[in-house]
Amino acid sequence: MTVTAPAPAPPALLHSVGDRALTWLDANRDHFRLTERDLARGDALVERLKPIGELAINMRMLFREGVAGSRQRERAGSLLDFAWRELLDGGNVLARHQHNEPFSPVALEMYAVFHELDYRHPGLEAALATPRTTATWRALEMQPNRRLGVLNAERRMGLTPSGDFAEAAAATWLGQRPEPWTVHLHIAYDITHTVFHLTNWGENPGRLPEPLADYIELYLPAWAADWAELEHWDLLGELLIVDACLPHPTLDGQLWERYAAAQSATGAMPLCGRLPEGDPSDVFDIVHHPTLVAAFASAMATSRSLSADGTGAGA
Amino acid sequence: MTEQAQGAAALSAVIADAASEIALALSGEGDPYALSRALRQEDALAPAAVRVLGADALAPYALDGHPGADGAGSADAAMVREALTAFPPSGDTAAVSVWSYHGLVEASRALLPGHTTDWPAPPEPGDDWLASDPWPRLSHRASQLAALALPGLALDLTDRLTDRTEDLARGFVRAVRRRDWLQSAGLGRWLARLPRTPASLGLDNGLRFVRQMSDDPRVALHVTAAQRFFGRGR
Repeated sequence: MTVTAPAPAPPALLHSVGDRALTWLDANRDHFRLTERDLARGDALVERLKPIGELAINMRMLFREGVAGSRQRERAGSLLDFAWRELLDGGNVLARHQHNEPFSPVALEMYAVFHELDYRHPGLEAALATPRTTATWRALEMQPNRRLGVLNAERRMGLTPSGDFAEAAAATWLGQRPEPWTVHLHIAYDITHTVFHLTNWGENPGRLPEPLADYIELYLPAWAADWAELEHWDLLGELLIVDACLPHPTLDGQLWERYAAAQSATGAMPLCGRLPEGDPSDVFDIVHHPTLVAAFASAMATSRSLSADGTGAGA
Repeated sequence: MTEQAQGAAALSAVIADAASEIALALSGEGDPYALSRALRQEDALAPAAVRVLGADALAPYALDGHPGADGAGSADAAMVREALTAFPPSGDTAAVSVWSYHGLVEASRALLPGHTTDWPAPPEPGDDWLASDPWPRLSHRASQLAALALPGLALDLTDRLTDRTEDLARGFVRAVRRRDWLQSAGLGRWLARLPRTPASLGLDNGLRFVRQMSDDPRVALHVTAAQRFFGRGR
């Protein structure tokens, strides 16, 4: 037990980061659009789909938490609707990708988000059925935390997961709880993603196995302090989400103040250091992820801050 | 280089040499240890070096089976006394410096028992910070006091730090991440001594790693002390 727990951030601060991030995302939504050239790129399309998937997963989460009132929920819902109807052409873009790459889990991973919100593409669902029964689907080589993501996507769609969650979790870096002082940038992202998939993006903090939660609770402050000092706002944002997924989140006031101070006046969150300048679409490519993370982190932390179980520090 | 910077560099070099000697003695190599051999008594920087090394100046005497200060005992005691006299803690001395002074006096009494008279009475060091410091500052201060992590020494301090074990483990993780090897080694040495260090920290590998990454003799000294006195990181 920490003797001197940090003071938690006030809910207004937590909320304002997400509010500003949403403003920027809303104003820049057209940058998510796929061009004809993107669509013609075949298997390279997946790179361009990634930001849309990230937009969807993060807005889905905001839509779910909805703690910041109806305005945030409405904006998140509108962005999700925009993503489904305009960016993905009502799911046709995913169906086409799935047809080109029938054994790739990408379409499933993205579709699961929309499926939870009752957006439907029956053709895509039908086309996923056979690949999912193959041995190759279960044998696909991928990062262990990604495997967890695929299982979680199947679970969210109400399908029988194609593997065992506990086994998949045990294969991740976090599942093995190795020496915490070896964590570098990529390991840190592996940790955050394992937590996201295990908790369904923060929806069920209780699904984080206790030994993993204890381990994170112990060492997360050290990692977060270090990446705050390095001004790596994208990773710090993800670590703040992980904190908000813990049984006793700290919602560390000092860290949140630094994080909020890094956000630009427009609401964009820099990836690292300060906001880059240049062509708006280049800037978008760099900052859309950290800004989505900021919206997610803010909503999760606000939700935990206001919920009855409160924070370990302040309650 | 300014005169002051030159002086600091010279002192660092003297401390590094002495730290190498002490680490060598702790690992059971080299000639039988005597502070008066690790530092030249006539070196004008010797008192300052002893004051900075603190209790570690006498660390090899704490080894099991060490014959104790032989003929060198009185010379060593004289060197320590000179350091204590030359650099006493004053009213505005930082808490860490008072603790370190305290530790050197305590080590002298315990490890040079044939010279029990006329050690200065150390002031009571402030201890509020042990409960109130947030973990990063606590870790920084504790690492500066790593020389006090000797068997039988600084028992109160050890108890207080035991209550902050998890915070020190966090400090160790952050220090290694920041490649602050001296702080890492100092914290690793305390964690080697504390009874409730979490197994998940991987302290043994951590100590070996820190030792491998740094060529600072003071780092080697802390890691060797952790190995010899507390059986960690071997």
